[in-house]
Amino acid sequence: MTAAIPTIALVGNPNAGKSSLFNALTGARQKIANYPGVTVERKAGHASFADGRPMSLVDLPGSYSLTPASPDEAVTRDVVLGRQAGERRPDALVVVVDAANLDNHLCFALELIALGLPTVVALNMLDLAERDGLTLDPAILSRELGVPVVPTVAVRKRGLTDLLAAVDGAILSHQTQATVQSAPPPSDAALHQRARAIARAATLSENPVRRWTQRVDAVLLHPVAGFLILLALMFVMFQGVYAWSEAPIGWIEGGVGALQGAVDIALPDGFLRGLIIEGILGGVGSVIVFLPQILILFLFILLLEATGYMTRAAFLMDGIMAKVGLSGRGFIPLLSSFACAVPGIMATRAIPDAKDRLTTILIAPLMTCSARLPVYTLIIGAFIPNTNVGGSPVGLQGLVLFGLYLSGIVGALVVALVLRRTVAKGTAAGFMMEMPRYQWPRLRDVGIALWQRAWIFLRRAGTIIFVTTIALWLLLSYPKVPTDSSESQVDYSVAGRIASGLEVVVAPIGFNHDIALALIPAMAAREVAVSALATANAIEAGDDEEAMAQSLSERLQGRWSIATALAFLAWFVFAPQCISTIAITRRETNGWKWPLFMVGYLFALAYAAAGITYWTAVAFGLG
Amino acid sequence: MNPKLDSAQLGVAVRISRIDWDRMSHDEGRRLREFGLMEGIEVTPLHRGSLFSRDPLALAIGRMQVIIRARQAAMIEVAPTAP
Repeated sequence: MTAAIPTIALVGNPNAGKSSLFNALTGARQKIANYPGVTVERKAGHASFADGRPMSLVDLPGSYSLTPASPDEAVTRDVVLGRQAGERRPDALVVVVDAANLDNHLCFALELIALGLPTVVALNMLDLAERDGLTLDPAILSRELGVPVVPTVAVRKRGLTDLLAAVDGAILSHQTQATVQSAPPPSDAALHQRARAIARAATLSENPVRRWTQRVDAVLLHPVAGFLILLALMFVMFQGVYAWSEAPIGWIEGGVGALQGAVDIALPDGFLRGLIIEGILGGVGSVIVFLPQILILFLFILLLEATGYMTRAAFLMDGIMAKVGLSGRGFIPLLSSFACAVPGIMATRAIPDAKDRLTTILIAPLMTCSARLPVYTLIIGAFIPNTNVGGSPVGLQGLVLFGLYLSGIVGALVVALVLRRTVAKGTAAGFMMEMPRYQWPRLRDVGIALWQRAWIFLRRAGTIIFVTTIALWLLLSYPKVPTDSSESQVDYSVAGRIASGLEVVVAPIGFNHDIALALIPAMAAREVAVSALATANAIEAGDDEEAMAQSLSERLQGRWSIATALAFLAWFVFAPQCISTIAITRRETNGWKWPLFMVGYLFALAYAAAGITYWTAVAFGLG
Repeated sequence: MNPKLDSAQLGVAVRISRIDWDRMSHDEGRRLREFGLMEGIEVTPLHRGSLFSRDPLALAIGRMQVIIRARQAAMIEVAPTAP
């Protein structure tokens, strides 16, 4: 027992500051995986006691009690009871409670203490409680609860050493003492009464609830003003994605160009040089370039979450979402889907109602995920003039981007309305959630989360996108076109011939051979459409120096009509083009029925939307 | 008929006198209790809905704020707090 590395579980209510404490204890040394068989995230990391002995830490999903209401909460219960497959029962629990919300958080703490494991209570966010005019006595709390209580301020790393020492002590004294047999679980009401009594005993003085949160809420949750502020925030977010990413995108483009130049000089003309310059650097480089935009988008979402605003947004959106049969809870997964539908769909697990959840999963791919950004950026950059709308500071390109996002949202609401009346019929969904206090975002926590997202994107670029890009380059480069043929290399290649077959199907909606070619590898990941266009163009340009000098968007301008470009954008608003999304939907709905349904309806919508856009644009003379 | 929480005035504390647990689903009732919404507790309705709807309802319970739907609030009877 003493030889093995002890496992310590962090457990507590949502909004108790558990993740910050976990980050403070483990630093960036974290491993995120899934619990086997369920799609609940398992966050684990390492830390060490004062004398250097290692321990492993697990951050359990936030729960209100040991009676689970969602798959996340079921994992928490199973782990602390030692019933979770593949997970050792923790050697000790650190129960994290919000010092300013003892009335409520002590209920779950009492339940956990009654389990009889070595337990230490982390009285977290004590600084915020003091700012709110609350003076607490940890010693009284410890006496009433019967376990050590350590005041902590995770953000400032205060109390961490004491916390770990207390955990060490609790494990030691537990080994020498016989386990106290706990009484049968008390009723909810009794538990609450006891929690309130303890909280009262430990509170030395208390000022009335600080008014400033309420003053801020009076504006941000105002029925009209609050709603307009939410819209304005979303708008700034999408303009920011464009405006702030320009410079870093330039640096990345410059870097990739320099690498290509270096390879061009270093290697003799041949297969390898072509593969590296056109295939790898051209393809992967054209995707990596969007990292700045994706990070800006994630930064906004993480900040909104960290400040506590996201729940306000859910509150404001609940009225609208209720009209289409969803709940404000669905707003958070849907907003996450703007970054990527995969974590978005995983976040629907917090929605208790099955039909509500299914509908949210099915419409999540309609939210404009970051993988569409490369496609949108390329096409908008090439075809929409970089001017301001009527002398205002609003850029036309940003406005078009906003319009594309809006089309996805409106499409999603209409689809939800239809689904809730047909295949996902059910009673009105509920909406119950806790509203966290406002907080300054912790740069460290946001930084860690941002890094994890960047890493996931880069890994995708290094694996899926890398492989599909190389495969596409090979399919595009072979067989070599005979020198006496009038056909281009791309048309003559294997990929070109497959695309010619697909072109017959998509020609009516204005798609040309380029697009047909890009659509196939884009099934792996949407942004590959961009690298596919880039690779095909690089091969086509070949040794033609003039063509090589042109950027991809300049080349597209010469080859596509505006109507075709707009139809291509409309297609990407709806098309279900990402295998990961389909796979996660299969996993979350336990079968092929719903993912197949999703793919079917999204392709139908995409085809119709692209067609209508193309025909309308042609009618206005843009063909 | 006693006043219900869904029509209570915003910003004025009230005491929960009765909750119609039978009309709620098991999970709804449990979540309410986990939020600390029980008979005898004081709550203050703070915000109600936005632009297009009077749903949901944000409440203060002690130092915590929670969001519930008007449908659940309609099952919660309230009385004025003792002066």
